[in-house]
Amino acid sequence: MAHVDVAIVGVGYSKHVSKRRDVNIAELVWEAVSNCYEDAGLKPKDIDAVVTGNMPAFEGVNIPELWGAGHWGAYHKPLIRITTGGTTGGSVVHGAYYAVASGLYDTVLAIAFEKQSDGNSTMGLNTVALADAAAQFQQGVDPGFLAAFGGGAVGIAVYQAASYMKRSGCTTHHLDKVSALCRNNAALNPWSHLKQPGLTPEDVAKTVLMQYPIRFGHVCPATDGACAMIVTTGEKALKLQNKPAYILSCASCSDEAALMGISGSGTTNMDPCAQEHCKLAAKWAYELAGIKDPRREIDVAEPYAPFAHQMLMFYERLLLCDEGEAPAILDSGSMNLDGELPVCPSGGVISTNAIGASAMERVTEVALQIMGKAGDRQVKKEVHKGVAHGWGGAVNLNVVAVLSDTPRRS
Amino acid sequence: MRREVAIISYAQTPYEPDANASREMQVLRVAKAALAAAGLKQEDRYTVVTANNDYCDGRTISNMRLVEPAAAWMKNESKAEMDGAYAALYGLLRILSGDHDIALIIGESQASVYARWLPGIMMMDPTFDRQRWLLNEVSAAALQARAYMNAFGVSEEQVAGVAAKNLDNAALNPLAGNKLAGADAAKVLGSRKLYEPISEMMVAQYCDGACAMVIAAGELAEKAEKPVWIRGVGFAHDSYLTERSLEEMGSLKLAAEKAYAMAGISDPASQVDLAEVHENFAHEELMAYEALGFCGRGEGGAFFDSGATRRDGKLPVNTSGGAIGANVACATGLARIIEAAMQIRGEAGDHQVAKAKTAVATGQTGPCAQESVVFVLGGE
Repeated sequence: MAHVDVAIVGVGYSKHVSKRRDVNIAELVWEAVSNCYEDAGLKPKDIDAVVTGNMPAFEGVNIPELWGAGHWGAYHKPLIRITTGGTTGGSVVHGAYYAVASGLYDTVLAIAFEKQSDGNSTMGLNTVALADAAAQFQQGVDPGFLAAFGGGAVGIAVYQAASYMKRSGCTTHHLDKVSALCRNNAALNPWSHLKQPGLTPEDVAKTVLMQYPIRFGHVCPATDGACAMIVTTGEKALKLQNKPAYILSCASCSDEAALMGISGSGTTNMDPCAQEHCKLAAKWAYELAGIKDPRREIDVAEPYAPFAHQMLMFYERLLLCDEGEAPAILDSGSMNLDGELPVCPSGGVISTNAIGASAMERVTEVALQIMGKAGDRQVKKEVHKGVAHGWGGAVNLNVVAVLSDTPRRS
Repeated sequence: MRREVAIISYAQTPYEPDANASREMQVLRVAKAALAAAGLKQEDRYTVVTANNDYCDGRTISNMRLVEPAAAWMKNESKAEMDGAYAALYGLLRILSGDHDIALIIGESQASVYARWLPGIMMMDPTFDRQRWLLNEVSAAALQARAYMNAFGVSEEQVAGVAAKNLDNAALNPLAGNKLAGADAAKVLGSRKLYEPISEMMVAQYCDGACAMVIAAGELAEKAEKPVWIRGVGFAHDSYLTERSLEEMGSLKLAAEKAYAMAGISDPASQVDLAEVHENFAHEELMAYEALGFCGRGEGGAFFDSGATRRDGKLPVNTSGGAIGANVACATGLARIIEAAMQIRGEAGDHQVAKAKTAVATGQTGPCAQESVVFVLGGE
């Protein structure tokens, strides 16, 4: 059966900052959506279906598009809501990809957003840990000890980071370098949240230690922001853009839920940095995309890295090098904007994290690099293919999309 | 459609007000049973789409802890945060793309462990309606019921009659949790008034449960013993309830038009043998008759009075008892698809109807049936 080519013809962002008190959710999303319509040269009437998602518990609004989507162009359109935690934005892109690839809908608007200042994201994230905490209470673990995990995601990330450092030889200096690289890239990105031009690894090393090995400078900010993109068939894309970015493939893979390596059911004992499911999702996505050697064929990577070690860890898990090689590749300068395989040229999630939108922004940033529309953050090398990633859940969900300047060879 | 996609197998838990099992256990049971009935093993390649809601789970990322029980470990998995029929829709899109051949679809929630009406209140416009605390799923439905009844002269007896029919049908469905053999309109009207004109027995009460279904294209579908083919599908979003006319189900009408066009149905009243409709309230079933084209606009009450939608009528609706018989948030629409497929296969037991070659199943999300999805199913 012939594959229906799926291409990105427009992307749009809202302004991303800590607290958007000047707009409500629907208005915030409209900023991104209207920019997206303009970028694609399309109007709401041109849209055949809409896919949307966010993490509804963070804002305290259940299924917010029920009152918002009419303002975004979804009036009387088919609409599907896809939410999977930190991977939500990526899962929304996957949904839009499948909607076009199914042959049922030609032009699909994908929307992902988070307005964290309306609620309490850390409280939302702590509910994720309840199952693990409950099980450990039963096993007699001191509640005071568990309280040390507080702070939602950070308490979990330190386990993963320490394990990754042990396995790979990554040092705290590498973590500092990752933050400096990303925040400097972010300074070139008009849509990013935390811009720190000239930030050095030494500056990062001076920030407060939250819990070993993670310092304040290694952690993403909490962002209000929205992202939108329009995908359409390969045929229609060429009428809208000289150089559309094709979504060659999408794959997700889910592992057992185990925040600190031990699951609530007591059945799992695993290394939170292993992320075997990320490797599997990457393998499936590369296979579908016809990519045999990702290390040579991928020109740019946007791994989902809200914590510094994750940029290196996921670089490995996306099969872009052997396990344990990423720290040395970082040292070589290959991951820089002018490097051989630039990583997070947008500044990454460590600079901007509107949680529900973040995994979609990995895709839109790779698309902009392929379309040559990334402005000051455009990488120096020619970009033909890129990989975009999303991560979340109880460290157990991964989504991968492979993009290209040429359609899939089916 | 680019590929022929069939329902291969299904499984449902009993739907109970307070099940003696965790949601994970309920999901494990239906996932195992549906895979086994399809002849599939955990190591086979398939994709998994679940339907659940963070507010019903009481914590964020409601699919995260379902990976193991949903047989999604090391699988390509995703979640539609809507009614279960949307999970089926997303699974269908995945298969039609050609990237996947088999999808396991699961819908679930446990009403006994959350405040049943709170997720509905959290759906309301936070900038205005939430602040006033007047609108919830039932009060919003009461506004719609009254608007519809006033516009077309539909009586409270007719609305109550629908509830009585579904409660009586549910008595023949061993899985339904809300049943009353021999129920009549007077009994329904005598139940506690919630919001005028809605009384307690007109409401599809939330309960616990899970259901699963395997859909497939290609080899598995061709070799299946009694495949039920997905002939058409449509879905649509309508405006928020205060920004549209509540007299009709706009999204269901649009979805049905798409699904019928795909399935080649021009006269649903004569071409559809049976319907399983997701009615959160009794009046919604009358409105659905109209939106689905079983009768003309405003004729839902008269169509019901004709007896056409009873078990022995010419177009039985909700022979399973419908959502009034068993309403599991994020599973109800999927259960409608499963019940319609059971009828086509002749596996519906005591509530089996005589003729079911072509069936319609619907799902909905949001207050006043704001978003709808329609499936048209057919046998060989």
